[in-house]
Parts: sequence; C-alpha cells; structure tokens
Amino acid sequence: MTDGLRIKRVLEVARKELIDFVRDWRTVLAMILVPILIFPVIFIALPLFLKGEQAEISNYELTVEVQGGIPDGLQPHLEGRHLIFIETELVETGTLSNNTLDATRLKEGVNDGTLHAILRLRETDTNATESYDYAILSYSTNELSREAKDRTLEAILQWEEEVINATLAHNNLSNQEAFDPIHWDGDQEAADLASGGELAAMGLAMFIPLVVALWTATAAIQPAIDLTAGERERGTMEALLCTPVARVDLLTGKWLAVAVVASVSVLGQMAGLLFALSYLTQGILDAPTISNTGIALLLLSVILFAVFVVAIELAVAVRAHSVKEAGSILGPMILIFIGPTMFAQFVNLQGIETWWFAMPVFNITLAMREAILDIHDPIHIITWVTTSLLYAIGAIYWASKQFNREDLVESLS
Amino acid sequence: MRHTRALMAPSNHPAEPLLSVTSVTKEFGDVTALDDVTVNFHAGEVVGLVGGNGAGKTTLLRLLCGLYHPTVGAVEGHLDDERIDIHRMREHVGVVPEATGLYARLTAWENIRYHSRLNGIDDDMAWTRTERFAKLLNFDEDLHRSTRGFSRGMRQKTALLRALAHGPRILLLDEPTGGLDVTSARMVRKLVRKLGDDGGTVIYSTHNLAEAHNVCDRIVIIHNGTVRANGTPEDLLTDTDTDTLEDAYIALTEDIARTSTPDPEGKVAGAWRRLLTRGGGPND
Repeated sequence: MTDGLRIKRVLEVARKELIDFVRDWRTVLAMILVPILIFPVIFIALPLFLKGEQAEISNYELTVEVQGGIPDGLQPHLEGRHLIFIETELVETGTLSNNTLDATRLKEGVNDGTLHAILRLRETDTNATESYDYAILSYSTNELSREAKDRTLEAILQWEEEVINATLAHNNLSNQEAFDPIHWDGDQEAADLASGGELAAMGLAMFIPLVVALWTATAAIQPAIDLTAGERERGTMEALLCTPVARVDLLTGKWLAVAVVASVSVLGQMAGLLFALSYLTQGILDAPTISNTGIALLLLSVILFAVFVVAIELAVAVRAHSVKEAGSILGPMILIFIGPTMFAQFVNLQGIETWWFAMPVFNITLAMREAILDIHDPIHIITWVTTSLLYAIGAIYWASKQFNREDLVESLS
Repeated sequence: MRHTRALMAPSNHPAEPLLSVTSVTKEFGDVTALDDVTVNFHAGEVVGLVGGNGAGKTTLLRLLCGLYHPTVGAVEGHLDDERIDIHRMREHVGVVPEATGLYARLTAWENIRYHSRLNGIDDDMAWTRTERFAKLLNFDEDLHRSTRGFSRGMRQKTALLRALAHGPRILLLDEPTGGLDVTSARMVRKLVRKLGDDGGTVIYSTHNLAEAHNVCDRIVIIHNGTVRANGTPEDLLTDTDTDTLEDAYIALTEDIARTSTPDPEGKVAGAWRRLLTRGGGPND
C-alpha cells in the first residue's frame, strides 16, 4: 500500500468524523459556541447585567430611621441619595451595634417595605472638630436593606473625611502631612521598566496555560468517547474495522478529527478570553507584547499538549465498552491534567530547576508561561520539547495498542 | 452420531479455495468459541453457516474478515494461485455485520461512499454499482435520505449496498434477514442468490434452515463451536437419512460434544455469562 493511499484514507476518516461533528448541533454548541462565549459572558455580559440591576436598585427611595438626630455636617452628604429619613430619639444606651431593641421592628419594616435601615448617632467628646459614635442596623440578606445601609455609610464616610480635614486644618496640618508624610514622588508606573504590553503578557501567562490545559482536556473528552466507545456501542466500529484500512490509520484519522475539534475549541475560548479582557481593560492595560519566537513556542507547546492529551483520552475511551463507562473514567481524569497545571502556575520561573521542564503536564504549563513572558532558555526549550515529544509518542503508542485490541468489535449493547 | 466426516468434502469445488480455515480453535479466556474447525470456501458458491445462538457463526465470520485471530490454526486467503494473509484479503471482502453499523448523521449514500473511499474506490464507480444494486432492492429512491429513522430493512439494505460498492469477490453476511419483514427478506435473498449465480462468493450466516436451503449451494452446520456438517442440502438429507433439513439439523446437533464433557459446576455457562457481561467475548 502506498503512503499516498494511506494518507488519503487517514484524511477521509478525519473528514467523515468532522462532518459527523458539524452535523450534531449539540457538539457545535458544546465545543464551539460555549467556549467562544463563556468568557465574554462572564466578563462582559454578567457585569453589564449586574450594573443594570444596580442601577435599578439605585432608583428606589429607601427609608432610614435616624436615631439621635442628623448632625448639620452630615446633612449635605445625605442629600441626593434617594433616602427618606425618619428622625427619632436614641433609646439605646449601650453599644450602638446592639440590635436587641429594634430587631423585630426593623425586620417587619424591611418585609413590608416601610423601613430599610436604622442609623444610630451619639455625639462624643474628643479633640476633633466633630465627634460621633455611630452604627447602622440593617438586614443584609435583603437587597434593599443592604442598599440603604450602603448609601448611608457612603454619606457618613464622606462626612468623616470632611471632619478629618477640618480637624487637621484646625491644627495646621494637611491631609498628606498627617497620613502620607513619606510619599512616592511622581508616577509609580513611570518608574517600572516593564512596558504596559509586558505587564499585560504577565497577566496572560497566568490565564493561558490554565485555559489551554483545562479546555484541551475537557474539549477532547466528548469527541474521543464518541469516536471510540460510541462507535462500539452503536455497532459502527465492526463495519469500520472490516475495511482494508490499517487500524493505526483509522486511529490517526480519528485522532486528527478530535485534535482539530479540541484545538478549534481551545482557540475559540482563547479568542473569547482575549476579547473579554481587551474589552474590560480598555484604557487600563496595553495589548500584550509577545515576540514571534514566543508565539511559535506557545503554539508548539499547545500542539504537543493536544497530541498528548487527545491520544491518552482516545486510548482510555477505546478500553471502555460503553459511552457511560468511558465518561465515568475520563471525567475524573481531567484532574490529572488540571492539578499539575494549577500547581505549576505558582512555580517561580526565576532560577527554576531544569527538571521541572521534564515532568509531564508541568513542562508544558511552564513552557507556555516562559513563551508568553518571552523567556527563551535553550536548555529549558530542548528539555520540554524532547520530553513532550516522548510523552506524546508514548501516548500515541499506547492508544494504538488499545486500538489493536481484539475485543474492539464487542459492545455491551 | 456425528456426520461431519461424510459431509466435509466440498461437493463440486475441487479447485483451490478462496478462503480456508484450517484446524482453527478460537478461545476467549476459558471459553472455546470454535474448536478445531476446518472449512474451505470456494469461488462462486453461496455458503450458509447455520447454527443456533452461540454456536460460533459470528466468531467464524469475524475470523474470516480478520477481526479475530485464531488461537490455534490458520485462516488464509488464496488469490491468483497465491496464498495471502487474511488482512490483505480485506479489500476483496464486503461485510455486513449483524448490527449493520450505519452512521446516523450521514445519508445512506454518504455511508456507502465513506466505506468505498476507504476501500480505495472512486465515487463514480461506487455510485454506478450502488445505483445498480439499489434498483434491485427497490431502494434507489432512499439513497440520499439520512439513515436516522431508517427501518431495520432499510438499514440492512444500506449495509448490503455498502458492502457491495467496492466490488468485492467475497461477501460475508451475518444474519442479513434477521428482523426483516417478509418483502425485505425476500429481496435480500434474491440479491444474494443473484450474486451467487453471477459468480460471486457469499458466506451467509443464519439460523433459518428454510432460507439456507433456498439460497445456499452449500450448508455448514456449526454447533457448540464445531462443524457438524458441510455439504449441499441434499447431502445433509441423505447422510442423516431424514426428509427435512430441520430433522437433519436436529439429528446433527443432538449433542454429544457438550454432553460428553460434562460440566456439572456450570463453568462454561458461567464463563460465557461473565464474558458477555463484560462484553469481552463473542456475540455468537
């Protein structure tokens, strides 16, 4: 058999599997749309939604009972906050936070919407221009009560700052003299040699390896199961194995299809992540700067990791007799990939020992971090490329051994 | 009494066989699915593998298409006076497994085309063959429909067309009429007979004796993993001194083999049950 025919058959197997994926809307949804949208939804849509909800709450007029009278200095800070005040006498003689006296009344008021918080104020005698003890009683599981407390607290803190400044002025001191006598001169960012792009890259170095590891492992599971245990269960595997295509070629075609789907899924998620981050950090962070060598090494590490992960998941799925069995094994197996990735995020890259770059999964995570940060140590690169290749070859060999099993034509169904 | 000896010789095919199974034993763990089986298949004959559930028919078919490897013995192909490995015979073999094995998200034609491409056949040639046989099966109108929702008969016809699209010399059919309605079963039988009459070689597993009688040139009766008879339907009747194939089958399978090796602890049954529950053994 010529190599050309073998390659043609491998590509035909991959092509058919990809058509099969594309025609299944659930796969398209789970493998393409969800990964692309998940970060924009979390980072953009969710905050926008929360902002909308907050704006809605801000329009409510809330009732606050003020016990002890509103001091003249506080009055202007309470205005314009959509608060209605009911002034009463302060009855509490002990600690102001003690809620025993007003708990029942406040709870009832919160429930029927007539009262949302109670502000207690008691004037004290100090050297400040004005001095008060205060406490705000609220019902924190109720959104409106919490909002009433927040608005009142904000007004009190503004008033406090004003009192502090007045007290300092009374003693011929400025705010800086009192609270920041040893202070940084100029712009702190200007003193940092790292560019904005490099700082952005450092932030990405914390995200990307995790996203790649998590999503490659997760994205490959469903197609790996479908193409192996799924085929066994549906009875299509036997007919396929009766064709003159060598099993290793069938496996390669299937591997290629899973790798393409997983890669598209991971790239989609990374694109979604970058879009969400760039949207959120507009005017705050610069675009990350990564050299071409860094990008090439990053891509190489992603590819080698995908080869490794997909081969392992295919091999495990081939051993399973049913989709259910394969799922129950591969689900928890994700931890094997995610655990080391999370751990490797905290390994200090400065002065790191070379053996880290030989450990499976750790090596790829660290390689990705170095690539994004434009650290190109030849010894590290040779080590992780060599060991990753060895692990990938080992995984493929194991997968092909599993694919040669005689009982591959059998299924529980 | 076993009648194997008298019926073993092929009736009218003295030439070298296309496929030969020589002293093959196939074991799955403790279970012997086939025990010292020798049988040859010659060009241009329709051979029925007849036996009950668990007799070893599917195991034999899977050995013939190289899915299983014999524990002992050899399964070989012979082409152009050359003895060749069974795996190299695959491009000359079309297989219809019992499960049919169709992809639900592809149309019937896409299923057929996928396998014909894997067999190295170009689409035009595959289409010409498919269309010709589809007309015989009254199925040409359904070729571009998705196989999702196909009836058992339509699935069987698609699988049959898929097996024929690359122009195989040998067709292996595992229970091809199982679960089919009368009309569909008849169409399949007619097609198989026509293939045989046109010089094709068909190996046909069934437990329907009447069907085997109508379709096959030769019948191989398998029981408890051994070949009990191998000859024309007429040979079977003569050698068993019976009037019907059913009587002949009963006479040939009233068992000596399993009863002569008593299994008081139910080891074989237990092993089969374990194997089937694990999915690690033969279906048949």
